[in-house]
Amino acid sequence: MSESKGQPSPPASLRDFQDWMLGALVRPEGASGPELDVRVHPPARVRLGTYQRSYIARLGKCLAGQFPALCHALGPELFDDFAREYLRAHPSTSHSLYALGRRFPAWLEAQRPDRDAAAAQREAWIDFMVDLADYEWRLFELFDGPGPEREREREPTADCPDAELALQPHLVLAEHRFPVAWYYHEVRAGRRPSVPRREPSASVLLRRDYATSTFPVTALHLRFLTCVRERGSVNAGLVGLAEVLGRPLAEIEAAWAAQREGVRRPWIEAGFFTRARPRTRR
Amino acid sequence: MQDAPSLGHHLGLGVGLRNVHFDHILREWPAVDWFEAISENFMDSGGRPGYVLAQIAERYPVVLHGVSMSIGSCDPLDRDYLRRLRALAEGVGARWVSDHVCWTGVGGVNSHDLLPLPLTEEVLAYVAERVRVVQDILGRPLVLENPSTYLRLRASTLREPEFLAALVAETGCRLLLDVNNVFVSCFNAGEDPRSYLDAFPFEAVVQLHLAGHQRGPEHIVDTHDQPVSEGVWELFRLAWQRTGGASTLLEWDGEVPAFERVHAELLRAREFMAGELDHGRLDAALRRGPSAAAEGLSTPVDFLVPSVMGRSELAAEAL
Repeated sequence: MSESKGQPSPPASLRDFQDWMLGALVRPEGASGPELDVRVHPPARVRLGTYQRSYIARLGKCLAGQFPALCHALGPELFDDFAREYLRAHPSTSHSLYALGRRFPAWLEAQRPDRDAAAAQREAWIDFMVDLADYEWRLFELFDGPGPEREREREPTADCPDAELALQPHLVLAEHRFPVAWYYHEVRAGRRPSVPRREPSASVLLRRDYATSTFPVTALHLRFLTCVRERGSVNAGLVGLAEVLGRPLAEIEAAWAAQREGVRRPWIEAGFFTRARPRTRR
Repeated sequence: MQDAPSLGHHLGLGVGLRNVHFDHILREWPAVDWFEAISENFMDSGGRPGYVLAQIAERYPVVLHGVSMSIGSCDPLDRDYLRRLRALAEGVGARWVSDHVCWTGVGGVNSHDLLPLPLTEEVLAYVAERVRVVQDILGRPLVLENPSTYLRLRASTLREPEFLAALVAETGCRLLLDVNNVFVSCFNAGEDPRSYLDAFPFEAVVQLHLAGHQRGPEHIVDTHDQPVSEGVWELFRLAWQRTGGASTLLEWDGEVPAFERVHAELLRAREFMAGELDHGRLDAALRRGPSAAAEGLSTPVDFLVPSVMGRSELAAEAL
């Protein structure tokens, strides 16, 4: 058997068969082929149908598991229709099912019938669905991605100087056009929320002890936290915010100082920050 | 390559580790002999699944069972996947690492299904070569499982037990005999499962799988969503005795009930470890008519997706 880059070469007949069968699963219309043993009963086409039906239903259920609130918002039937089309456009290319929904929010946005219209002219409910999908995917990634649990020694206390406070690297800073976090957690609570009205929302998503939390924040706070991320510390973030807003640094620092107990301490306790430098051992 | 003494170890009765049971297991530390974890669920996990498996591996023997190695695919083996699989296996002290004699996709696409191979000498040589590559990277024998099948391929010239026996002889790999899959595949192919087992290379078996299936109008689907059928229990009796008591595991992947229910179903295995095969009972199970239920899904995988919603909260707006 010949080798190619250290790996065996497949028989040509096997490649033909696999190309045919995978095509029959991903694009089932009109699938046929001589590979099926037509001598078995029931007809081979029925048995191929077991693979075809299970393929799309199986992955559709996985996608619904990754986007439970969107599934609730659309209803199971419409969600399944979207899932079917999405999986046809983007079949899985990963060994892990966790990656299945990675492109779903962008695909939804690309499929919207009013995508060529001006933003103000677009359907609000589609904006909501896209935002909700985006929020759910960010939560999913946060849930199983790298997290802070093994960096406990870098958790700051309230007396940590601003110069040593850096944004926790796994924190997600998110902006949406609708209160999607509220909607998501209403669904989680077993209620049946209606699609909310357009209302810009800013939020911080973080994971602690392997559970995710969403913290609503103001738009200004989100800009500040973005500056902290970009500049590397709270001190540098204050400078960045002053530049962004075109305000004197002293004014920004005074405002931050005034929020020492109301914002700074709760943020530290919630896990927004990490120590920029590991504590030195005595 | 790791020698095989641990492969021959009889672990007893184990349960397939599922996300929905994490809290129960960490709270109760149930009296289960061992756990089998789905490799792909944990090999990339930086979150709770990885944490939970590490906790469990400290207290129980753990075996890894994969669903995406795609040993029979025409695509090149994914060496990065294999290296990470090895790292996971070493990290949790896996007793062995298994996957299926199948292909899951080609051309870079993963169907996440366990698709059938034409069983020919040519395919055997190809798969054997790939098994050797995998074993070199993993540094241990690979354990391979017979899949459920719904099609017989015209090109096949070998029976599955013959194919597996030859694969063992050529590569030194070991086998995971899924008794439910034997029942399902044989029923769908119109074969007698006793004949299948008579030809099976039991000397290479390190593990047995049990699961439930569902009868469709004309064939059986491997749904893993209900108790083990009486016919499968009879086949288990035969298989367990012929393997000399191989490590046995119950898979329950669809409509997964409470852990206690799964465990209780597993413990039924004790009723079928002794005695003679009840041919009348097996024949009755093979003749039984279809269920009225709609056809279930083969190879359910949605249980692999963790419930993020269940561990998510919305903080007070005061911030």
